[in-house]
Amino acid sequence: MTSYSPPRNRMAVALLSLVGLFIALYMLAYALGLTGDVMCGIGDCERVQNSPYSRIGPVPVAGFGVVGYLALLVATFLGIQPGFQNSRWIPVTLLVGCSLGLVFTGYLTYLEAFVIHAWCQWCVASAIIMVLAFLASLPEVRRIGENR
Amino acid sequence: MSSETSGGSLRGFYIVFAVVAVVGLGAVGYNVGSSAFSKTAMEPVDLAGAVEDMRVLRDMAVPVTLGEQDAPVTIIVFGDYYCNHCGAFSLRERPRVVENYVNTGKARLVFYDFVLDPRPEAGTFLAARAARCAGDQGRFWDYHDRLYRSQLTWGMESDKVSVFQEYGAELGLDTGDFNACLKSDRHAQEVSANRELAHALGLGGTPMVMVGTGRGMSRRLDNYYFETIQAAVDEILGDTATNQ
Repeated sequence: MTSYSPPRNRMAVALLSLVGLFIALYMLAYALGLTGDVMCGIGDCERVQNSPYSRIGPVPVAGFGVVGYLALLVATFLGIQPGFQNSRWIPVTLLVGCSLGLVFTGYLTYLEAFVIHAWCQWCVASAIIMVLAFLASLPEVRRIGENR
Repeated sequence: MSSETSGGSLRGFYIVFAVVAVVGLGAVGYNVGSSAFSKTAMEPVDLAGAVEDMRVLRDMAVPVTLGEQDAPVTIIVFGDYYCNHCGAFSLRERPRVVENYVNTGKARLVFYDFVLDPRPEAGTFLAARAARCAGDQGRFWDYHDRLYRSQLTWGMESDKVSVFQEYGAELGLDTGDFNACLKSDRHAQEVSANRELAHALGLGGTPMVMVGTGRGMSRRLDNYYFETIQAAVDEILGDTATNQ
């Protein structure tokens, strides 16, 4: 009997998504007025979070983060189950999700650096998480070919 | 499956995942929960015996001032945020007082909160604190006037905290700081002490305008109209000029 070994990169994306989800939840709670001061040891989180760019329409940007991280979390959680080892949509979902997340977080980082001229440590942490998740999702390119 | 991306232990992963989940949930939950359960001061607080000692009470009572510290005349106003005559004074008469006397260095305006209805549901104590929270960001008078312009609106609202938060955002305040201040007991002592000071002085209503030199007793005016204030201030200025 051989023991099942789940893909490490998917476990890594799952853990990164979980941490990202909590950061996004914290930022969303702040945007909705459910917390007081935002904890911010580095940078000027209040300025970033209160800028006009902190919302897309009526929705706080953090809300998109919560949905995105949650989607990645569900996909990776399924992806580490034995029954989904050869699924074709898991690699596609992870690659597309991480790529979209990378583009979105890149846009937000651009806004911090060149438009708002202030940094929020939580946004930077989320951006680093997204870059790492994207890198961890790259082995999925090979799986798409393998699972054809 | 390649060895570089496979081979992890599912059980070990679940343990690490659970630890991260518990820590994350705890951190976010604690932050939101502590904010939700933090005591928003909605009514006057106990001043621990200061009421009986006028000198202690005067030290605890902190007005908001406008104008030069060494102005020859001091105009003291006791006001309540739900009193419509206080609104009339603030929006109609005060600008004329400021223009003619405060901006010219002849007088200093001193405002004390006098919360007439201390019940939490009345919202006037919270309104006074909200104005002072705005004052922490240098916007006391803007917020003060905003409250007077919308007395009936916020007065009828059941969720006054949210309305006051909206006013803060509308004025472009740092909402994080402002909301945190509003949902705490910051400025509760000053506002409570100001109210007790008004009681100790025997003031029966608002707005109460008093004019003096800032030393000794001030003269209570019969009404809050600019012309009445003007006459009282000019009289002191005339006396000051005669004595020099």
